[in-house]
Amino acid sequence: MSQGGDGSTVAHGRRADLRYALHLMRGNKLVLIGLVISVGTLLLTALSHLLVNPALANQEPLALRLCWNNPVINWGITNVKTCPTSYPLGTDAFGRDLLQMIILAVPVDLQIAFEVVASAILIGVVFGGLAGYAGGLVDEAILRITDIFLAIPAILLAIVLIVVLGRSLPTLTYAIIITWWPYYVRLMRSQVLSEKQKPYVERLHAMGAGGPRILYIHIVRNAVYPILIQATLDIGSVILTVSALTFIGLTPSPLLPELGNLASQGIANIFTAPWLIIFPGVTILLISLGFNLLGDGIRDIFDPRLRR
Amino acid sequence: MLFVLFALSVLIFYLTRGLLPPTSALAPYITPRMDDSAKLSVARAVGVATNSCPSFQAFISLQNGCIVPVWEQYGAWAHNVLTGNWGYSLLPNVAPLTPTWDVFWSRFPYTAELAIAAAVLTVAFGIPLGIISATHNNKWPDHLSRIVSLGGYSVPQFWFGAVLQIIFVLYIRVNGLGLLSTSSAVATNCGICLMNPGTITTYTGAPVVDAILSLNAPYVWDSLLALVLPALTLAITSIGAITRIVRSSMMEALRQDYITLARSKGLSNRIVVYRHALRNAILPAVTVTGLLVSYLMGGVVVVEIVFSWPGVGNASLAAANVLDVNFLELYVLVTAVIIVVTNLIVDIAYGVLDPRIRY
Repeated sequence: MSQGGDGSTVAHGRRADLRYALHLMRGNKLVLIGLVISVGTLLLTALSHLLVNPALANQEPLALRLCWNNPVINWGITNVKTCPTSYPLGTDAFGRDLLQMIILAVPVDLQIAFEVVASAILIGVVFGGLAGYAGGLVDEAILRITDIFLAIPAILLAIVLIVVLGRSLPTLTYAIIITWWPYYVRLMRSQVLSEKQKPYVERLHAMGAGGPRILYIHIVRNAVYPILIQATLDIGSVILTVSALTFIGLTPSPLLPELGNLASQGIANIFTAPWLIIFPGVTILLISLGFNLLGDGIRDIFDPRLRR
Repeated sequence: MLFVLFALSVLIFYLTRGLLPPTSALAPYITPRMDDSAKLSVARAVGVATNSCPSFQAFISLQNGCIVPVWEQYGAWAHNVLTGNWGYSLLPNVAPLTPTWDVFWSRFPYTAELAIAAAVLTVAFGIPLGIISATHNNKWPDHLSRIVSLGGYSVPQFWFGAVLQIIFVLYIRVNGLGLLSTSSAVATNCGICLMNPGTITTYTGAPVVDAILSLNAPYVWDSLLALVLPALTLAITSIGAITRIVRSSMMEALRQDYITLARSKGLSNRIVVYRHALRNAILPAVTVTGLLVSYLMGGVVVVEIVFSWPGVGNASLAAANVLDVNFLELYVLVTAVIIVVTNLIVDIAYGVLDPRIRY
């Protein structure tokens, strides 16, 4: 849409805004740490199959042995078994190199997290926008449906869904999407409700723009930032939920390299092989911390109340 | 409120009875010794097979007209459930033909105790940390509480619980200090095995409450010790969330004009912070209480598994593994009732705390 002369001023203002945001970002160490961890995780995801051959996860023979050959840390356990080959983080309960399995596991978790968050955003934008813009009965109906899903803990609904739909990675993803979307619908609805009052919407109405066009092109463009910040924060939360679900045993296969799945081997060997649960857990903690720091920092930077 | 519970019961019923094969609803009632005609009559009595169904084989192969439609099953089920009949349990370690209701409520006090202890820890740590963080902005208490809150909602609960176990057992060796039970000292027939169990009378089923009511001091100590680590593990995420909410709303409140006025009147810092600012800053924390309860009720599943806590969360996973649909339905609906009632109480409390809000 051409806005004539003031279009360039708006664009200039946006660019200055962005430059100011980047300036604030440079001063905020925590955001930088979060950015480094998040980008590192994405890089690891992209490169993981080049670093480690994915076939190693199912390689036969699976020796049932727990190796730990780092002489510096000995966990205070006297009967820890050492193996001739060098494993930097020891082996898991199936005799596979734990470090390689963690490298293979990061993409699995991250892929689920991105799928869940992207689907939740899509559902949230479409239905939350509709509820906020249409109001009345549509709003009421959509809100009541979100009420139903918010009255039951996400993990509990996910357990039932996975049991019913079968144990596989896609059903794990669907189960979490089904528990996750109501928050985005509510967030988008409240955003649209506040945007709807603004003069530019009235101007668009006067110009004869249709409802869907106003809502899904103009309002969404202005209302989407809080949702993207929430999405950054939720990447970590989804990974925590996925790993909790696979940790308690709702996993397609015990051999699947997935962080919660790797950690679940550790709970049975917690005092004989502590590394089994510690390292996958630290990986989850780091990834989730990285995305949380990034999301928190971006929110602080874009929150005008905290700016000056 | 009732609508939410009704809709949720339809949803959970459709998931467990409509999508799972009808035989899974039948499993708690049939024994291997039954012949097919006995199984068929059980299926009719349970209300999943029609009277016109010719044989059990026809029922298993889902022949046309053999399965009662799900909505008709729902009517019969809702009637049973409202009269307190939730069917039999299929859980392992439970005698056959034990009502699901009894199994659930024998385990529920443990879960309730864990969740309440975690809620107490959340309030006891989260609110003070948030206040200190806001009043000492950008000094070390603020940094500490930001680390706690960021770490709290980034840490996987199962990992935190496991690391606490590793630290306390492998390195601090609490069993050597006689603080926790050693494997040789545990009794075999107990919910949470304690070192010097003694005897308590069962009043509520929750060990700490029962021990206090039976005036057995060693048992109180032991059951409290057994509660500390699981409760802390369950609470860690919500401590992070509450700290951060109280911090931001407190900082917002301390910037308001009435705070400047109160300070310029010469009121002491303590009165300004705790009487004027906190009363307004606590409202957002009250709003999330419903979410917090929902979070705790979900979190118990993982925490109970990590700590082998004999509550309903632990049993729900066993129920999921053996497809005990009766138990899953009861668990989901009881949890939903708890959350819905909490939300109602929060709404009422909000009206009391904030006089501007009238319903």
